[in-house]
Amino acid sequence: MAICAVYTATTPIHTTKPNFGFHQKHQLILYTSKERSRRWGRLSSNSTSSEISCSAETKTVVIGLAADSGCGKSTFMRRLTSVFGGAAEPPKGGNPDSNTLISDTTTVICLDDYHSLDRTGRKEKGVTALDPRANDFDLMYEQVKAIKDGVAVEKPIYNHVTGLLDPPELIKPPKILVIEGLHPMFDSRVRDLLDFSIYLDISNEVKFAWKIQRDMAERGHSLESIKASIEARKPDFDAYIDPQKQYADAVIEVLPTQLIPDDNEGKVLRVKLVMKEGVKYFSPVYLFDEGSTISWIPCGRKLTCSYPGIKFAYGPDAYFGNEVSVLEMDGQFDRLDELIYVESHLSNISTKFYGEVTQQMLKHADFPGSNNGTGLFQTIVGLKIRDLYEQIIAEKAAAPVEAAKV
Amino acid sequence: SRGRVASSGPTTPPGISEKVSESIKHAEEACSDDPVSGECVAAWDEVEELSAAASHARDKLKESSDPLESYCKDNPETDECRTYDN
Repeated sequence: MAICAVYTATTPIHTTKPNFGFHQKHQLILYTSKERSRRWGRLSSNSTSSEISCSAETKTVVIGLAADSGCGKSTFMRRLTSVFGGAAEPPKGGNPDSNTLISDTTTVICLDDYHSLDRTGRKEKGVTALDPRANDFDLMYEQVKAIKDGVAVEKPIYNHVTGLLDPPELIKPPKILVIEGLHPMFDSRVRDLLDFSIYLDISNEVKFAWKIQRDMAERGHSLESIKASIEARKPDFDAYIDPQKQYADAVIEVLPTQLIPDDNEGKVLRVKLVMKEGVKYFSPVYLFDEGSTISWIPCGRKLTCSYPGIKFAYGPDAYFGNEVSVLEMDGQFDRLDELIYVESHLSNISTKFYGEVTQQMLKHADFPGSNNGTGLFQTIVGLKIRDLYEQIIAEKAAAPVEAAKV
Repeated sequence: SRGRVASSGPTTPPGISEKVSESIKHAEEACSDDPVSGECVAAWDEVEELSAAASHARDKLKESSDPLESYCKDNPETDECRTYDN
């Protein structure tokens, strides 16, 4: 979809100085068109002329999401696409094992599709999927760049069930492209294409607890096998995946709770939202007073909380040499009124109406993390991305008008 | 014949389930000689990939687990399925 601006003037467009200012009929209409290819159209009749500028400046906004396998990327993606409205579904009529999700505004592609080695290839070479040698960053860069420039691409499909690279599928340029996987910020060329980047940082304790929940019922798995799998992948994870978080505009850190001594169930979580300062189109969320350091327990006379309660913290910090703002939530929600109470004390959350965060969380009450900081912060990041997208589009739509005024 | 029962919700489709248990056996064998070899690490990575695929397959089944909903997909004109937006 393209943003178009129509300029109508009572003077012919061919005059050397199109002076719109003299004529009161000068009007500006903004509308959207499905024709992406129509860049500049010109309509001329005797004394009236219109100029239509389309899509030349309207490029796809690209978001990167990095996280390890089994760390809630797909839940985050479902929350994000829901903020933009409409459900995300696999491409219709294509490969049933496609990893792509498409909604009206957003296309999510999985970076596993850029594996250069399939499962057998990795086994022969003795490398994991985390290893850069198993991935084709040249193709990743070329295709993400093409989509950003409005060109459709034939992207390979990595089949997670068979472990083979399937025939490619056609990806058309969406309004918002999300690239999710292990290495969205690894290659500097791909990193430079990103308009916003997020890293999901799951601590080892929580990762272990989550994988036990995910895999214990699976035939063949045991505590030992789950532990062995995490341990075996850890050196590559630390070498190639973890360092990417220094480049992220927002990091969601998931840690064990501090409200319950020696908790290792991974059910009650302490979640930190680390937001980089000074990022264009992104102003960090704050609690009560921007830039102060605050610790807040919302439970008291106005709010009843059950054990272990909820604790918030907010303040400035440094993260890999960058200035950041950190919002933290420890504990979990029992009821809705707690969430709306919390939402009303947060500022800069980019909602369109009071209670939108709560409404989004309620809409997906069955998703993992809906009762704790993971769901809350994922939803807020989704709203921040919507805000960022709208600002980018508004600025691009305004640019041709500025040019016409000269 | 399944040894363990999943906490709730659907079980993994048998095709993937078998692959997961095979890959675990293979990884345990590959690591018995040299626990830090590339072969061993790649084998456990395969276990992770298949376990994630199994979990996604279960999620997919969960989505279509409502019997009335799946019936209404095929029979939208029946009494129990008709909905009008006015």
